[in-house]
Amino acid sequence: MTQLHTILKKLIRNSASRTKYTVAIIGMSIAVFLLLTAIQIQVDYNQLLNSKSSRDSIANFLVINKILTDANMGNSTLEDSIVNDIRQQPFTEAIGMLTPSKFKASIQSNSSHFPFYTDISFESVPSEFIDVADAAWTWNEQAEYVPIIIPTFFLDMYNFQFSLSQNLPQLTPAIVKMIVFKVNIYGSTGTATFNGKIVGFSDRISSMLVPQEFMQWGNSKFATKQSGNASRMIIRTKDPGNPKLADYLSKHQLATDADKTRFSKYRKVVDAVVVISGITGGLMLAFALLVFSLFIQLTIASCKEEIRLLIILGASPQQLAKFIFKQFYPANIWMVFVAILGVTILQYFIHQLLAAQHIVLTSFTSIYTLLSALLLLFVLWWVNRNSIRHSIYSKIN
Amino acid sequence: MFILDHLNPFPLADRLTANNNSHIWNKYLQLNDGEWIKITAPSGTGKTTLMHILYALRSDYTGNTIFNQHNLRTLAGNDLSTIRQYNLSVIFQDLKLFPLLTAKENIELKRVLQTPYCSSERVYEMAQTLGVTHILEQPTSICSYGEQQRIAIIRALVQPFNWLIMDEPFSHLDQANKKIAATLIAEECIKRNAGLIITDLDDDDLFDYSRKLIL
Repeated sequence: MTQLHTILKKLIRNSASRTKYTVAIIGMSIAVFLLLTAIQIQVDYNQLLNSKSSRDSIANFLVINKILTDANMGNSTLEDSIVNDIRQQPFTEAIGMLTPSKFKASIQSNSSHFPFYTDISFESVPSEFIDVADAAWTWNEQAEYVPIIIPTFFLDMYNFQFSLSQNLPQLTPAIVKMIVFKVNIYGSTGTATFNGKIVGFSDRISSMLVPQEFMQWGNSKFATKQSGNASRMIIRTKDPGNPKLADYLSKHQLATDADKTRFSKYRKVVDAVVVISGITGGLMLAFALLVFSLFIQLTIASCKEEIRLLIILGASPQQLAKFIFKQFYPANIWMVFVAILGVTILQYFIHQLLAAQHIVLTSFTSIYTLLSALLLLFVLWWVNRNSIRHSIYSKIN
Repeated sequence: MFILDHLNPFPLADRLTANNNSHIWNKYLQLNDGEWIKITAPSGTGKTTLMHILYALRSDYTGNTIFNQHNLRTLAGNDLSTIRQYNLSVIFQDLKLFPLLTAKENIELKRVLQTPYCSSERVYEMAQTLGVTHILEQPTSICSYGEQQRIAIIRALVQPFNWLIMDEPFSHLDQANKKIAATLIAEECIKRNAGLIITDLDDDDLFDYSRKLIL
C-alpha cells in the first residue's frame, strides 16, 4: 500500500498553492479553537455554578419581596397571581412563603447578670428552605422551649459592634445556643410566656425564624389582625445569576438581595462570549469546510486524466478515494489537535487567574470539550469522505 | 470464459449491415478459458473497438459481452476494478503509460495495485529479457515508442490474470524483439493457465494459437 501511495503521490498532487492551503488550515484551526473555547467556557461556568461549594450556598436561595414605594406602602403582600407566576418560571425550582407573625411578641433575659429585653416579630418558612440542620426544629405545646434561628449577621453585629460599644462580653455561637430566654406573646386573649432558645444561625434568610407549628399555633390563638398573604417568599433556583431571573424581578418590581444576583452581570458577559465565540467559530468552520471541499474537488479535477487512466488500469475508486483521503484528512486531525492544545493552555491560564481570586476551577480541558472535538473530527471525516467520493465518481462516470 | 453475443458496435453498424463477413460482429461466439486466439483484421474494422469492449471500456454497442457470468456492459466501480486487477490484463495499442512516471514506476504501479503477483526481481528479469533495463529509471515520455511498447508488455505481465488482451502489441518492434516478447508472453500465460486474445493487421505464428478469427 505504501508503494502504491508513493507512486500515486506523483500522479495526484494537491493542486492548491501552498500559501492558500496553509491559510485555510490556519483559518480552520482558529474556527475549531473558537468553537471548542465556547464549549469549554460554558462548561467552566456550569462547573462554577454547580460545584459543591456553591450549590448549597446562600446563592441558590433568594428571599423575594416587593420593592416598597409610595404607591404600595402598607400593601406589600405578594398576591396569589404573582406567586403562581413565579412558581411557573423556568428558573424556579421550589417556592416557599415566609409566614409573618400576626401577634406582638418580645424576648427577655432570664438572668439578671445578662439583662436584655426587646420587642420582636417572627417569621416561619418550610423546613426545606432552612440552611440549619437541627433535629429540634419542631414545636408543640408540650415542648420545653421554642427553637429560634437568627441571621448570622445579628451575632456578627453584636460581637463586632454592639458588645464593644456597650462594654459587654463577646459571645460565640456555642454560648448563644446555651442561653435560655423568655418569649412573651401578647394577644387579645392574654399573654403567654415560653422559654426560647437559639438553635442555629442562618446565612440564607435574614429573619427571626420559628418552626411553622409554633407560628400556626400563635397566629391562630393570638392574631391581632387577619392578614391575607405573606409579604416575602423564598425561592430555590439553580442559577441565581440567570439574567432572566434578574430581569423578571426588575420587571415585576420585586427585590432580593442584590448581592445574590450579581452573577447575572457576569453571566451576561459569559453568554455573550460564548455566543460570539460559538457563532464566529461556527461560521468560520462552515467556510473552512467549504474551502477544503473545494481544494479536494480542485485537486481531483486537475488530475482528472490521471484518475481516469488509473481506473482503466484497474485502480478501484475506493483505492483512489482512500489515497486522496489520506492526503487531506491528517491535516484535519492536526488542526483539531492544535485547537485542543490551545483550549488546554487557555484553560490553564483561566484556572491560574481564578485561583488568585480563590475561585476553584479545574485546570484540565473538560470531557465535553474533548467529546465535541471528537464529534468535530467525525464531521470533518464525513465531509472529506463524501467530497472525495463524490468528486471521484463524477470524474469517472 | 467470454461469451460475445451478437455484438454490434454503433460506429460500425452501417458497415456491418451492408457486408458482414466477420467471425465476431453480430455473431454468437464463445471464447473458452485458456484459448489462445488470434484476430486478424484490416484497419478500420474495429479491432480496438473489440478490445475495448472485452476490457469493459466501452458500452456503445448492442448485444452482450459476458465474462465469467458478468455482463461487462453493466459492470462498474469496484467490481470492475477487481476483474481488471485479477482476471483481465491488457496491452493497449496506444499503450496508456503515464508519461511523467518512470518506466519502472509504470510497471510497479500495476504490480502493487493488488496483492503483488510477481516479485520486483521477476520484473527486472523481464526487463532484461526485453532489453529495457537501461530505461527503467527514465520517464516514459522520453523513451522511444518501441521501448514504451516493451514497458507496456511488462506492465501487463506483472499482475494476475486469466485472459491477456493485446491490441497490436508488437507494432513498433522488429522481428527479433517480437519473437522475444511473444516468448515471454507465452511463458507468463502458460504459468497462469491463461488465455490470450491478440489482434493484428496480418496473420502470424508468434503464438501457438488455438483459433484464428477474422474480424
